[in-house]
Amino acid sequence: MNSSIATPSTCGLLEVSGLSKSFGGVKAVDGFSFDAKPGEIVGIIGPNGAGKTTVFNLVTGVYTPDSGSVRLDGVELSGWRQDVIAREGIGRTFQNIRLFKGLSVLENVMTASDPYAPYNFLSAILSMPAKRAADRQATGQAREYLDLVGLGGMEEARPESLPYGLQRKLELARALAIRPKVILLDEPAAGLNPSEVREFIDLVRRLHERFNFTIVFIEHRMEVVMNLSHKLFVLSFGKLLASGEPEVVRRNPAVIEAYIGDEE
Amino acid sequence: MDYIYSILTLTGITMIGVMGTYMVTGLTGQFSFGQAAFMAVGGYVSAMLTLRFNLPFPVVVLAGSVAATLTGLLVGMPTIRLRRDYISLVTFGFGEAIISVLNNSAQLTGGAEGLVGIPKRVDLPLVAVSVVCCLFLVACYKNSKFGRQSLALRTDELAARSMGIDVNRMKLVTFLFASAITGYAGVLYAFYSQYLEPGYYNWTVSAEWLIIVFVGGINSLTGAMVSAVILTGLPELLRFASAWRILIYCIIVLLIINYRPNGIFGDWEISRLWKRRKAVQGGRA
Repeated sequence: MNSSIATPSTCGLLEVSGLSKSFGGVKAVDGFSFDAKPGEIVGIIGPNGAGKTTVFNLVTGVYTPDSGSVRLDGVELSGWRQDVIAREGIGRTFQNIRLFKGLSVLENVMTASDPYAPYNFLSAILSMPAKRAADRQATGQAREYLDLVGLGGMEEARPESLPYGLQRKLELARALAIRPKVILLDEPAAGLNPSEVREFIDLVRRLHERFNFTIVFIEHRMEVVMNLSHKLFVLSFGKLLASGEPEVVRRNPAVIEAYIGDEE
Repeated sequence: MDYIYSILTLTGITMIGVMGTYMVTGLTGQFSFGQAAFMAVGGYVSAMLTLRFNLPFPVVVLAGSVAATLTGLLVGMPTIRLRRDYISLVTFGFGEAIISVLNNSAQLTGGAEGLVGIPKRVDLPLVAVSVVCCLFLVACYKNSKFGRQSLALRTDELAARSMGIDVNRMKLVTFLFASAITGYAGVLYAFYSQYLEPGYYNWTVSAEWLIIVFVGGINSLTGAMVSAVILTGLPELLRFASAWRILIYCIIVLLIINYRPNGIFGDWEISRLWKRRKAVQGGRA
């Protein structure tokens, strides 16, 4: 398949250590560490309010950590601006889907390549050949990403008019299009029905095979967690509770207690 | 005939001013209550350069737009990081400050009595050509990476940042382009009306432009232009009901906002007709 979007990367090592963040007096994340090796699929699970999304927000620079470090392929990222971290190669999706409503489905994906588009202000306002060529190429690439997640043919639709499951896929396509080394998925299967969940698992597997990027995801659906992850980290009250292979973590008494409470 | 001519010319100039507001509000979602001040800067700078140094018209046109852009930089740099409600406050204050400066530096600007004796260099054909050219530039801007990134950050700044978009820079670039276009509208006005006074540029003008953009459809350049024509022409059409015309005008605006909260055109653009036709032809081929 001659495609312009395949980028099998050999990098994507994410190391997070001693990450802490307090809001007021509440320690949302407290000395949390995890790592994901290149090409690994890592799950982060934990009860509601454990601080999972906060961890994602700290890694992607939405919040600045109080302490701790976030390294991507050895480069320290903590304290950097959110958009710079994204351009370094960390893509993400959101728990509550955040698409650009003013743009078409295709344009949503195109925003990924826009920060790099090789034309300046003048060629933009005069619609010069360089601009048109660059936009044509960006359009072509965006279409490929849409085809990849199964949204081919819906380029001109408005994102808010898509059914929920497709909106999730669009958000995924948009995150893929920044060509991330590491992609963070925040509850990607939330709100999907059982058949959509199975389809989603297959889709992530396929994308992972194709792009070989590192995936870190937060999820409550055990089906997704057990099927996809190579490694699990359990977060409870901002702290690391357990980590390791999914089957082992699942049988860990401390994890079961955190989820369903003490039996006494 | 002269009367119609003058209304058409002023409508054209308003259309260009509205393009600036459309960019700031429609593309990046900021509220500028001082947009008319950029028109004042463009107008006064170009008029004063002509009166004092007798520079050729193309030079003062450029100077007026550049001055407005630089003013935009001065206002934009510190304010662009602020939340959108604060930006409205700052731009509002800035607009009134400009008027104050114009009023109080009477030796330079003629103060409240106005600046007189500006030669007539602008007529309807020039304004018409200007409208078409500016419209082309703004439409191209909207349809480029700049427009897409601006629209993206308008709906969701956080998600825009997560796509690698430098939100503050993009807001500033759009703001500056809008300042330049509005400044140009100011130059046209100065050399058409041959007379400038600070009172013409107060916040009510900026607010009127905002109303025009909202009525037309916040996300539609087509809508902004159509509504600029209708809403500038409307008070003239309603002249027969002189005492009532502001009231009627307000009621019409209220009705539109109430029954079409996204404006008359929503986010529809006239270019879609053309795109669809192309798609249909492509499908047949």
